[in-house]
Amino acid sequence: MTDAANTDRWIRWLNTVQLVIAGVLIMAPTVWMVLSSFKPSFEVTAYPPTLIFSPTLDNYVELTRTTPFLSYALNSLIVTVGSTALGLLFGIPAAFAVSWTRISWPAILTLAARMAPGTLFLLPWYVMFRQVGMIGSYTALILSHAVITLPIVIWVLLPSFDGIPRSVFEAAQVDGCSVTRILWRIALPLVASGVAVSAILAFVFSWNYFLFALVLSNGDTKTLIAAAFNFIGEGSTQWGALMAAATLIALPPLVLAALVQRWLVSGLTLGAVKG
Amino acid sequence: MSDTAATLTQDRQKLEMAALSAPAVIFTVAMIAFPVIYTVWLGFQTFSSTGKQSFAGLANYSKLISDYEFWHGLWITIALFVLSLVLQLVFGVWLALVLFHAKRLPGIVRSLFISPFMMPPVVAGMMWLVILDPSLGAANYILQLFGLPPSDWLASPIWVIPTVALIDSWQWTPYVALIVLGGLQSLPPSVYEAAQIDGASPFKTFQRITLPLLLPTIVTAAILRSVDLLRFFDIIYITTQGGPGNASNTLNIYGFRVGFEFFNIGYASALMLTLTAIVFGAVLAFNRLRGAVAW
Repeated sequence: MTDAANTDRWIRWLNTVQLVIAGVLIMAPTVWMVLSSFKPSFEVTAYPPTLIFSPTLDNYVELTRTTPFLSYALNSLIVTVGSTALGLLFGIPAAFAVSWTRISWPAILTLAARMAPGTLFLLPWYVMFRQVGMIGSYTALILSHAVITLPIVIWVLLPSFDGIPRSVFEAAQVDGCSVTRILWRIALPLVASGVAVSAILAFVFSWNYFLFALVLSNGDTKTLIAAAFNFIGEGSTQWGALMAAATLIALPPLVLAALVQRWLVSGLTLGAVKG
Repeated sequence: MSDTAATLTQDRQKLEMAALSAPAVIFTVAMIAFPVIYTVWLGFQTFSSTGKQSFAGLANYSKLISDYEFWHGLWITIALFVLSLVLQLVFGVWLALVLFHAKRLPGIVRSLFISPFMMPPVVAGMMWLVILDPSLGAANYILQLFGLPPSDWLASPIWVIPTVALIDSWQWTPYVALIVLGGLQSLPPSVYEAAQIDGASPFKTFQRITLPLLLPTIVTAAILRSVDLLRFFDIIYITTQGGPGNASNTLNIYGFRVGFEFFNIGYASALMLTLTAIVFGAVLAFNRLRGAVAW
């Protein structure tokens, strides 16, 4: 009996050790990035690297002084909020209709964007947007990023709509409610948390998306992610400012993701896994 | 309610349903379906240096077959795909088991575990660029502490692909782990109890019972990762742009550069359609595999 208890304790201890090792490997690079962003410029590139230093905000000040960081951030916000709103506007009714009618091809059609390489769409978009003079416009960026947000909204909301008992709708129908009314007045309030999760995931993935803005934005509409090259250029000697930029760019998605961490994985697999 | 009235409401309902999906469908057709068809057409065009286009038949595709860079890109794409997928599945399953046996997982720990794959891949690239710097980076310092020789990491033509695979695995192993953890939690506890009563060792239990039952979940994770790995772009483009030389020039990077650096839109279209066919082929193959391991 004591033998078994000993083995049990031994296994538990071994598991904790592995958990700590995994945690350190996962966290260390990010912690290093954040630490470096607060280091005085001469200590960022110190070798051997230093762990103890007097923290400073110099790098952040330098970043806003030498690059139009804030206007890039504003561009990112416009494109991300715009494409998330568009994704919700188109995605909510579509998810409801797919869930109700069980006709799933509209949902599957949007998945094509999740599978095909982005360049496949970017080539024709570039030719088309150039013809109508829309390269560099917020509209082109928002439309292209909505291709990312729409499938997220639809596939995160589908299980939520599926979870509403049919009898709720049937009762409303008997009362003479139109389908559209049932969606907005009855179904939507019932899946409010699902809508919140889908909005946050759509926001995160639109914010993080690199490829489209690389080609479709110009100097005035460049998003933070597409401007990363500028920071690396600046940062070839200024690691501190580069790490400050990296920290600030990563902050919004990380904070938002922490809010929905519980529902995140099932949402990210677009319905392939119920977590 | 009379029959005609019933069909009338049904017809109206169908119409309303169609109206609800219409915006999403029209948007998807306009932004995805039509552009893809347009890409197919572009694949048959050739663009001169002045931007004039003319019909070229299958010229882009015959060029592709004799293009060394295409075959090199295909090889790099497959090498990166296999290396990353194996790393992420092996460590993902390991991490899932560790998390599963930890029982209680506070929200803050979960948040930390999802942080790598929620941050923009571009930020991950910026961050690792500094850590992996050949002369001043922290990674080489740590290697030195253990008496290991320093590496050139992303600056080395030989190590650049393993290094990129390592960065991507740092980002996405926790994601694989959380998917597999979901699979573990949905397994019926009775199978473990039965194995325990039979006196099976923990390793045997894992090999004979847990792993086969988990296979469908693992294949699902593999599908989700494959789709991203075969069209790998962000981390490479931000760190090496396909270099040093062409050592990390994956098909997606190559196609992008042909299209938007050399503005050969026709040839880039042919490259991208080929890559898309490869991605869909891989998904179909994995789907069959999932069918074969289902229980």
